[in-house]
Amino acid sequence: MKRQLTLTTEPIDEPALLAQRSLSDGMGAVVCFLGVVRGTEGNASIRALEYEVFQRMAEHQVNLLFDQLAQRWPVESVRLVHRLGLVKVNAPSLWVEVVAPHRGEAFAACQWLIDEMKQVVPIWKKPVPGDR
Amino acid sequence: MRVTVCFYSYFKDLTGCAQAVETLPDGSTLDVLFHQLMLRFPRLAGMQKSTLMAVGVDYQDRTCVLKEGDAVSLFPPVQGG
Repeated sequence: MKRQLTLTTEPIDEPALLAQRSLSDGMGAVVCFLGVVRGTEGNASIRALEYEVFQRMAEHQVNLLFDQLAQRWPVESVRLVHRLGLVKVNAPSLWVEVVAPHRGEAFAACQWLIDEMKQVVPIWKKPVPGDR
Repeated sequence: MRVTVCFYSYFKDLTGCAQAVETLPDGSTLDVLFHQLMLRFPRLAGMQKSTLMAVGVDYQDRTCVLKEGDAVSLFPPVQGG
């Protein structure tokens, strides 16, 4: 399984990511997920989230998740991009792509990866109060 | 033995630092370390149940026996995405 993890302070460039996509003839499903920053945290308005990472551990933990994903589903490739630093409301903070032969396994693998990531990958966010 | 402890997220606010060095008896566990840290940083006491711990880049539970030079990390539940 091809795998790619990017932890970056740069904006997520969706067109560039889509242009870099490669898939073999046997693949019939590409599932992409884009997580964006909401303008509220609880009942309070925010203007951004500030993301912090424990980089070495995050890379290690994501790779462990990629290993498990490869064992559970016939995924050809997975790419995960997570923003770090200040991310404004409505801007993407997370982009995930899973390529698989069929939609069922692509959806399931993508959902599982995001759920697990939120449990074990050491990334934290701090709301930045204020209106946009 | 001496171990390095790194704090992440709001644990840095609770302790007032990003890193500390602790001296422990040989054979000490993460649980012993955490109790020692609570004496030095009392505001950690409120986080006992929710604290996650890692040695190096792997999660460990409180029974994990530490060794000289270990890099321990303490942090609250993760919030990626």
